[in-house]
Parts: sequence; structure tokens; C-alpha cells
Amino acid sequence: MILARHAESLLWAGRYLERAENTSRCLNYAANSITHLRTGEATAEGEMLVRTLGLQEELEAVGPLESQPQLIAFLLSDTDNPGSVVSAVVAVRENLRTVRDRIPIELWEEANGLFLRFPFLGHANAAAGGLHEVLLMVRRACLAISGILNEGMRRDEGHAFAVLGRMLERSIFTVGLLEASHAGSRGVMDATRMLRLTSSLQAYHRQHGNAPDFDSVVRYLLHAADLPRSVLSCLDRAEDCLTGLASTAAALDRPRRKAALLRARLELGEIEEAIAAAPVPTLQDFLAQFLELASDVHTGIVPPLAMATVRSQYIRPGAAPEGAER
Amino acid sequence: MGEPSRQQASGLLDRYRPGTAFDEAFDADGAVRGPYLRIVERFRELDIDEVKRLENLVADEFRRQGITFTVYSEEEGTERIWPMDLFPRIIAAAEWDELSRGLSQRVAALNCFLADLYNGGGQAIEDGVVPRWLVVSSQGFERNAMGIRVPHSAHCNIAGIDVVRAADGRYRVLEDNLRSPSGISYVIENRAAMAKACSWLFYDHPVEPTEQYGRMLRSTLESMAPDGRDSPHIVVLTPGIFNSAYFEHAFLARSMGVELVEGRDLVVDDHTVYSRTIEGLVKVDVIYRRIDDNFLDPVAFRPDSTLGVPGLLSALRAGTVTVCNALGNGVVDDKGVYPYVPELIRYYLDEEPIIDNVPTYMMWDPDQRADALARLGELVAKPVGESGGYGVLIGPHATGQELDEARATIEADPRNWIVQELVQLSTVPSLAGDRLEPRHLDLRPFVLTGERTQVFPGGLTRVAMRRGSLIVNSSQGGGSKDTWILAPETS
Repeated sequence: MILARHAESLLWAGRYLERAENTSRCLNYAANSITHLRTGEATAEGEMLVRTLGLQEELEAVGPLESQPQLIAFLLSDTDNPGSVVSAVVAVRENLRTVRDRIPIELWEEANGLFLRFPFLGHANAAAGGLHEVLLMVRRACLAISGILNEGMRRDEGHAFAVLGRMLERSIFTVGLLEASHAGSRGVMDATRMLRLTSSLQAYHRQHGNAPDFDSVVRYLLHAADLPRSVLSCLDRAEDCLTGLASTAAALDRPRRKAALLRARLELGEIEEAIAAAPVPTLQDFLAQFLELASDVHTGIVPPLAMATVRSQYIRPGAAPEGAER
Repeated sequence: MGEPSRQQASGLLDRYRPGTAFDEAFDADGAVRGPYLRIVERFRELDIDEVKRLENLVADEFRRQGITFTVYSEEEGTERIWPMDLFPRIIAAAEWDELSRGLSQRVAALNCFLADLYNGGGQAIEDGVVPRWLVVSSQGFERNAMGIRVPHSAHCNIAGIDVVRAADGRYRVLEDNLRSPSGISYVIENRAAMAKACSWLFYDHPVEPTEQYGRMLRSTLESMAPDGRDSPHIVVLTPGIFNSAYFEHAFLARSMGVELVEGRDLVVDDHTVYSRTIEGLVKVDVIYRRIDDNFLDPVAFRPDSTLGVPGLLSALRAGTVTVCNALGNGVVDDKGVYPYVPELIRYYLDEEPIIDNVPTYMMWDPDQRADALARLGELVAKPVGESGGYGVLIGPHATGQELDEARATIEADPRNWIVQELVQLSTVPSLAGDRLEPRHLDLRPFVLTGERTQVFPGGLTRVAMRRGSLIVNSSQGGGSKDTWILAPETS
């Protein structure tokens, strides 16, 4: 039995943990592969990363992308950008803080330690202190937190929600990456970038040789059952979590069925066929379905019937909520 | 206390000179008192660099775990690392035994008074032990608590009684905290940090452990379940992560293995409290609340509060849930009621108080007021409804203008003030710069009452970090110490 609020906090902690790791990986790529942003090609690379992370609207609020330091600041330390590493690390810490009583102490300490290692409050740009070291530190801390989550936490509902959050966020990132990559030339460079951004380059090389073909990489990132970041692997784990949770929380049966349906469409090759015919619309639709799945999970955490019962019980004079019985 | 040693300390303690107050570690001749013999020896072996290194270890430990407190007086509230001084406060077994008997006695009498007041017709008031007008005019008196049944008549399940040791070496009660006394988590984390950083200090001291608090608290709360039901569903109710004591609330929930809930996690349906879980609504039996009465239920109390649970009072009245501590305990936290506690002990228990009060003058008594105000410069004035050291005027430290203003304030509103004799709180060696110096301290032990009463071995020792200061509150720059209760067989 877990409080709905705690379930939501753990789900978000999992999502933000994954987001911190994904954005760090993107930043690392930006720092190593984009040496300048003066050429149109380099600008396109930066915009592709922003699109992968689904941060186009947030970037618009900042202004057009003009330099590499601007991109790095936007993705690393911009606290107005909910997708920046700093924002994600703060959100991991705040969400875990609200469930401090039910997670391993080491898990909290690691998340708090990561938070404390950032010069958040001064808004200092960590790039000045060595971007590589900062990103390495973030990724190591994320791995440590994952390790404690997997090896130190009881396999209860809280654990299932944290893992579910990670798997949803990871799926959204990978599908977003596939979608953004289709906007390019679909050459070896695009294929290599997709593998790098999913930490799958080495694994792909061992299985398929070191000359990545774009379509082969897309299939790999969608279907590889032995690759933890493939969409199929993520859906498998998400479905496992939802199956366990839905056995006691009936409202989570709907997202469980939706995850099962998405997995079936992937396994039966339906998605791949549609991508071959119309890649961008198909991947955009696929991404929308993952976002809808995440939304269904959030809705399922607080059973609507229970809320309705409560609203009908206590209505303050002059402040009756909409839809309440009178 | 044992035969004092004539051995003189050196090094960090070379220039240690106890003042006029009772010093816990050294007697007036500078000799080390029995319980402190070995710890003084250990500190003589340390140099300042080593002590600073250990202090940093402890601070890092607190920082990593996020063991902080919030100072609200500063802009937007500032989260600070919990301050702990490495030199422990030690209490010998026999001394602790008497102190804990006195604490049990005091809490027992206060529980009798609360049960009498809210459920027993107010016999003590009828018999003139406490004036009726004083009780009903107290901000802590809660009419809504009248008639609510409390299992075992235990209105105060968790009490924090602030005690000090005066110049004559005797303990006295300074203040009763029967609403939501905080600090126990710091007691346990202080010990954990000391054990990590300075485990060798414990080798030759039989120190009572502290980690059993979660078990003690849980068994106390379990015994408070309505109708004595088995395996009750217990929750800790917190105002949320922005509360200064949130760390403690999470700590308590974790150490008991129960859920930490906010008001929005609970609902009342048909006079029964439920928690909102992913499985739906689950009935709650016992709520250890860390929210003041006024915020508990917006239907019955402050309608603008979002911290509480609408309808909670109706569930309390129906007897389907127990709230710990009970509603209305604030009446005995009122310092106006404090002077009557010794008489309440005699009235309910037919015993003499084991621990005295600090001599106190009631400002609503014209004779006492005239005497006290005439020599206010040597006394301490306290507003009856404040805690945390706020609003306290220490006569000898006040200017003439401050004294005049205080006299006028008291004359205008005598019900809300008491004046006490200045107690020179005892001192203990504490790190100040590059050496140990005497610093004043108090002690907040915790008393748990359910089906039975238990005194937790130890308590929160708070220490004033500035020379001569009597203000030990962490919110006003005070620090803390690990409190060692020595086990009986060898102390």
C-alpha cells in the first residue's frame, strides 16, 4: 500500500533521474562533437538536440540558438528550463525528499549529495569549472542512484513507480531521438549520433559491425531486446511494473493495457512498417502515444472515484468545488 | 557522582575556568567530576587541528544527510546545517534515575489535569488548585476538545520537558512542551554522527543506546488505537517539506515504519479518516500529528488552513481515530499554568514534586507583580504564549530603556507574563575558537505515555555558543551536544 502522493513523487523522481542522465549525455555530445555553432550545420545539430529533448518551447522563450555556450547554459544550468540538468537534479532531490521516510537512506544521501555538489544558488555556469567533469559527476551520481534503487530498495510499489517513471522517460527520449534524427540526412553521422546519445555505440558495433546504417540503427533502438535503452526493453519493464501495480490499483489497468498494446504493435512490426512509409508522422504519433501513456499513469495514481466521494462530504460555505453534489 | 579527580586537564582544556554557574565537568576547585574523568582524558589527547577535522566530519555527515533546521527570522527562512559540539554532556545513572522519575511524575500529573479538564468535569478547578479564569483565558485551551475520549486518558503521549541545572547543582523544570515537542531526531542523529566520527570516545563509557526510540514511539502510538484494536494503521502528519522540522517528521515515520502524510493525503468520510492510496481509501487509526491544533481541521478551526484535514474533529468525536498528542494540550504549555504544576502534582498524585520549578512570579497577582517589577533588572520576564526563546527579556542583559518598556508591557497585560528568578544555567566545556570554554546548556528529555509511561534515556542538550549567553535555542544561534546517559552497573 502506498500513498497516491508518494507514488507520484517516486514516479517523477524516476522520470527526472532519467532526464538528468539523458540531458547530461546530450550535453556531453554537444561539448565534444559540436566545436562551434557558427555554421548552419552546427546550429542544426544544436536544434536537433533541443528537439530530441522536447524543449523547443523552452528554447523559444530564451531566443534563437546562437552559440555553443548558450546551448550549454540552456541545457545545463538554466533553472527556467525544466529540462536542464540543474532543474532535473533539483526535481529528483525534491521528489525524493517528500518520500524520505520510505526510501533507503543511501538513496536520499546520494540525491542530496548530487544537489549539494552543484553551485545552484549562485547560478554559476558549471561550464567554467570544467563541463566534462561536471557531466561525468552527474552521470556517475545518476548511476549510483540507479544502483541503490535497483539493489538497495525493497521491491514494493514505490520501487515499481520509480522504475516505471524511468522507463517512460527513457522511451519518450528514445522515440524523440528517432523522430528528430529523421529530420536530417539519415547518414552515418546521424546513425552514430543516435547510438552515442543512447550509449549504445559499443553494443551496436559488437552486434552489427562498426559502419552503422541509419535504418538498421532505428530498428536496433526500437527492437533490441538485450539493449536496456531500446523502446521494446523499456516497454517490457514498464508493462511488468504496471502489471504488478494494477493487481491492487485497478485504475492502473488502463495504462497497463495501453503499454501492452504498444509493445504488441512494436513486436508485430507494425510500427516499423509505418515508419518505412511515413517516418516522421509515424514517430510523432508514436511519441504522442507514450506521452498519453504517461498521462494515464498519472491519472491512475489518484483513483477518481475516491476523490469524488471526498468532495461530496465537506463543502465549505461559498467555496463549493465545481461538480460537487449539493 | 563519584569522587572528583584532582587531576588537571591540559591542552584544549588548559585555560578552562568554570564561572559562577554549576559546571557539569569540573567542580569549583577545577577538579574533574566523576562521570567526566575519562572524556576529559580523551580530549587532553587531542589537539585543535584534530578536533576541527572531526567537526568537519560531523558537519559533512549532517550536510550529506540534509540534517538541517530553518531559521525563519532571516529573509525567506534559511536552511542551516545542524550545529553539534563534540564534547558530550554526560549524566550519571543515579542522577538520571532521579531525573526520569521526576519527569514521569510531572507528565503523569499533567495528563491527569488534561483528562480532568476535558473529560472529568474540572475537579482541580472546582477545588481551587488552578483558577478557572486562567485556564479558560489560555490560548491553548481548546473548547472543541471537551468530551473527546482519549484512550488510557493519555492526552500527552509525547512530552518534551525542558530542564536546567541551577547553581546549587539541582535540576529544575524550565518549561513544559506537551503539544508537538521537537528535537528527538537530532538526539539520535547526534549520536549517530558521534559514533561515526569519534567511536573511540565511547570505548570506556557504558552509554545507553538511543536507536530504540522508533520502537518506543510506535508501541506508545499502537496502545492509543481506538477501542484497543490490534495492528492499527498509524501515520505521521506533517505540514510538509517547507516546515522547519520536516527532517524530523520524515525521520520519525521512517524509524517507526509508518507513512508520512500531509493533510491532503487524508480525507474524512462518514466520521472516519482515510488515507488516499493508489488502491483507494484506507482507514487510519492513529495520527501522530506535528501540526498545531488551529491547523488540524479547517472546518472546525482556521478555515484558511490547507495543512489539516476537513472533518477530522468529527472523526475524533466519533472515536474512530486517535490524534496524538491530543487536542487542547496547549493549555499546559501556557507559562501561566506552569507555576501551578507543583500543586497539581500534590493534588492528583499526593506526592511531593521530585523536580522543582524555577521560582516564578505570577504577574496577575498585584503583590507579586509589584515586587517583581521593582527588581526586574535581576529577573527574567517571559510571555506566556511564546516558545523558542522569543520575547524573553533577561533583566541583567537588558538596557534601562528595555526594562522600562517591559514594565509598561507587563502592567498593560499582566495575564500574559510571568517573571522568574534568573537561573545561571549550568555550563560544560564547548569548543570556542581554538580551545574549550564553559558554555551554558539545558536539556530536553522526552517522556512517552500510552498504556504506560517511558522516559527515553537521554534528551536534546542545547548549548549557547556565545560566552555568557543563556539563549540555547538553535533558532537563535545555539548549538547541541550528544547526551550520554551512563548505564547503572559501572557509573
